[in-house]
Amino acid sequence: MDEKIIGMAIDPEYAKFVYSLTNPDEVHGKPEALSGNVVLDLSYGSFAGLYASSLLAELGAEVIRVEPPEGDIARKMTPYGIMIKDAGLAYITEGRNKYHVTLNLESEEGRSLFRRLASKADIIIETFKPGYMDSLGIGYRQLSKMNSRLIYCAIHSYGQFGEDSIKHRNQTNSDLTDQARGVIMSVTGEPELDPDVPEEYKKPLRHGSWMGWYVGGAFAALGMLIALFYRHRTGKGQFIDMAPSEGLMAIANYLMQYFHMSGKKMVRAGNFDYAVFPYTYVKSKDGYVFISGFTDPNWTAVCEIMNRPDLRERFPTIRERLTPENQPVIQREIEKFTSQHTSEELLKIVMEYSRKPDRKGTVVTGRLNSPREVIETEHHKVRKTFVKIKDPHYGELLLPNSTLRFMSKTPGRIKWACRPVGADNELIYGKYLGISGEKLKELREKGVI
Amino acid sequence: MNSFSEFAESLLGGDLFERDEPLKGIRVLEVCSVVLGPATADILAEFGAEVIKFEAKRGDQMRYVTPFAYYWKNLSPGLLEQNHNKYWVGMHFGHPKARKIFYDFVRKSDVVIDNLTPGRLSKWGISYKQLREINPRIIQLHVSGFGSWGPFTGRTSYDAIAQSEGGLSYITGFEGRMPVKSGVWIADWITALMSALAIIAALNYREVSGEGQFIDYSQVENVTRFMDWTWLYVHVTGNNRERSGNRDPAICPSDLFKCKDGWIAITAFSEEEFEGLCKAMDRGDLFEKYRDPIKRLKDENARFILSEIARWSEEKTMEEIENLADQYGFSASRVIDVEDVYFSRHFNERKAVQEYDDPLYGKLVEPAYPPRMETPSRLKWGARPLGFDNEHVLSRILGMSMEEIERLYEEGVIYRWDENIPAQCPPEDWDGKRGLKYP
Repeated sequence: MDEKIIGMAIDPEYAKFVYSLTNPDEVHGKPEALSGNVVLDLSYGSFAGLYASSLLAELGAEVIRVEPPEGDIARKMTPYGIMIKDAGLAYITEGRNKYHVTLNLESEEGRSLFRRLASKADIIIETFKPGYMDSLGIGYRQLSKMNSRLIYCAIHSYGQFGEDSIKHRNQTNSDLTDQARGVIMSVTGEPELDPDVPEEYKKPLRHGSWMGWYVGGAFAALGMLIALFYRHRTGKGQFIDMAPSEGLMAIANYLMQYFHMSGKKMVRAGNFDYAVFPYTYVKSKDGYVFISGFTDPNWTAVCEIMNRPDLRERFPTIRERLTPENQPVIQREIEKFTSQHTSEELLKIVMEYSRKPDRKGTVVTGRLNSPREVIETEHHKVRKTFVKIKDPHYGELLLPNSTLRFMSKTPGRIKWACRPVGADNELIYGKYLGISGEKLKELREKGVI
Repeated sequence: MNSFSEFAESLLGGDLFERDEPLKGIRVLEVCSVVLGPATADILAEFGAEVIKFEAKRGDQMRYVTPFAYYWKNLSPGLLEQNHNKYWVGMHFGHPKARKIFYDFVRKSDVVIDNLTPGRLSKWGISYKQLREINPRIIQLHVSGFGSWGPFTGRTSYDAIAQSEGGLSYITGFEGRMPVKSGVWIADWITALMSALAIIAALNYREVSGEGQFIDYSQVENVTRFMDWTWLYVHVTGNNRERSGNRDPAICPSDLFKCKDGWIAITAFSEEEFEGLCKAMDRGDLFEKYRDPIKRLKDENARFILSEIARWSEEKTMEEIENLADQYGFSASRVIDVEDVYFSRHFNERKAVQEYDDPLYGKLVEPAYPPRMETPSRLKWGARPLGFDNEHVLSRILGMSMEEIERLYEEGVIYRWDENIPAQCPPEDWDGKRGLKYP
């Protein structure tokens, strides 16, 4: 086991020390950072809301999903329509540690139950059209009057104020809108300036996953944790307005800084990069690998590894290596070498070079893995990056673990996978509002829950 | 009629500097370079933490990473993007005296962040093992490509290693074409975001328990967490998740369509939204046939529906379709770029884009981190030349005299910019005073 812990560490003692602090087998015996906090998650058709509440739930908050009686439409957002009972694959992935109740907010009785729950809650998350909750009389304006410590996070593509929010307030939220408005999509895709790319592929490209929603959800969770911290010190709750596109544009590299300074815009570069190169995917014998060697010493090292001193002569400084004209040329020259080797061979060649005392610089390489290869990677098995769970309702599942599980005192964790629509009505309404038995039955018959 | 919007604006709009900084009083020591580590500290700094950034002699790598090797007043836009509101110290950590100085800082700080190779800091004697003895309330985060232990620990990682090793690139790109890297260093940024989140979670726990802790965070793993249903899909079907361009395989319709004058993203999933879209297209027949969202997700149905929308959108302008989405309650937006955002009244009034007057560089305009809060993020100043705040920080926080500081320069413990390397220097027209924060 020791060998697997130490890996390629430069300081094996350090690796063992950190392992002793963050051993994933000891997670469940440790305290949770957010225990005692109650979160009502009213997300509807939004994985920004669901990812945000997953993060809080991994950290130990008691997250109560409030769905309409027919269930959240997000349950049906699933690849090619694959469902396991009442939930799709995406929903099950973000169902972790959450309680599931139903409530009809369109009915007066439903709203009155909601007010009672909200008065006991620390955090509310919602993703409706801006102003919807307010129009029902259960928005932040009304709830904060009965609970001044309440943190209320509204997530929507266009945000809760500003001219676009007013203009588009009848639009529903969506990941693709978030990506389209987030600037990054305008520069993602096959390279505009590569003559070998057919015209039909010269267009903006989204990230394969729901990057708008997940970045939005993570920023929302960040905001809620900041608000909790501020509340610890002042006792005050607050209103939080999360537009996921603003998360993407805030992490869009130097695009705006460069535009401000030079008046120029970057174009889609595909796998090239006009600020660092080589820093690209190249063909190997068995797929693709990443390879980099940007600074002059690192570029020299790449050329040494390939035994191509002529390339170093031809592209001696970053000025030659950063032009859109030269990058496709350099790319093809590198591929002449890399396509002769498998990705594992390339990693070995580079690692061996990096241990040479007379190495000229640092070269970095790694395999472009398919998802299936990622799951099978030994490193991830040892670190328990994915967990197999046998869920009593949904069967045997594989879920991405909490990435927060390496917090030494309060590791994030998965306790259970997901719950059916309304599965926790009895528990939650009984626990917080004393509603059970006949009364619960009555509410069910009236369509309130 | 816009009273809710006005209410929200009354809470969140207006002068940011009239509002509290939520992380005020939290001192962060940043021993980082490039994007991931500095961006983690940057998020904390924009929300009010005091970040002291330590740089090695060569300076942060991003001083030398800039598009087309472009510089503005000796400043690399690549350095500026993740460095705001920080105090800049040039210090040689290999020097024994530096260790003692760093310990003194740790006594008076709340958070330490580093993104060097795992174990580098421990070789300098500033591992958590030592730091927790000096200050049990300290929260230390180490972020790296593969984490501090495990078979791959010690391997160098960059953003694109994480994008490719983690599987994100494999699922990004057009059907039947090669995988495509994100247009930005997305793996660095989303890992910085999660690292900052972990630190704030630890700060919250410290409020209730009084205890600090150590956090190890891995970039490659973090990328896998931002890939939604990928893993369960592989597990359930045994298939890989393949590239599908802009088409969303889990939401139909959701794709990018060509209009007369550009590209538009359209999504309409629930029955109600899809009905709205079909009305806008005057295609009641489509709605009748494909009312059920799950039925729409079947591959052949999805391809048919998307091709019908594509035929329709070709005849429309982007604005026409956006207006129809407003009217009928589905979702449609053109793809906007950096210039659109820079000049957008919406993003400027929301302070998603902020203009500020930097004492050293003059007017700058940049995005600021969301969410918009009653205790908002703000930009005060940008990046700085190497060692620019040495005197200020050492005298204010550690109470050193100018004589002691002078000695540290002579002994090579601290240093400032090298006149021969413009990327480390102040602007050429600097008057020797502008922007300096003396005690």
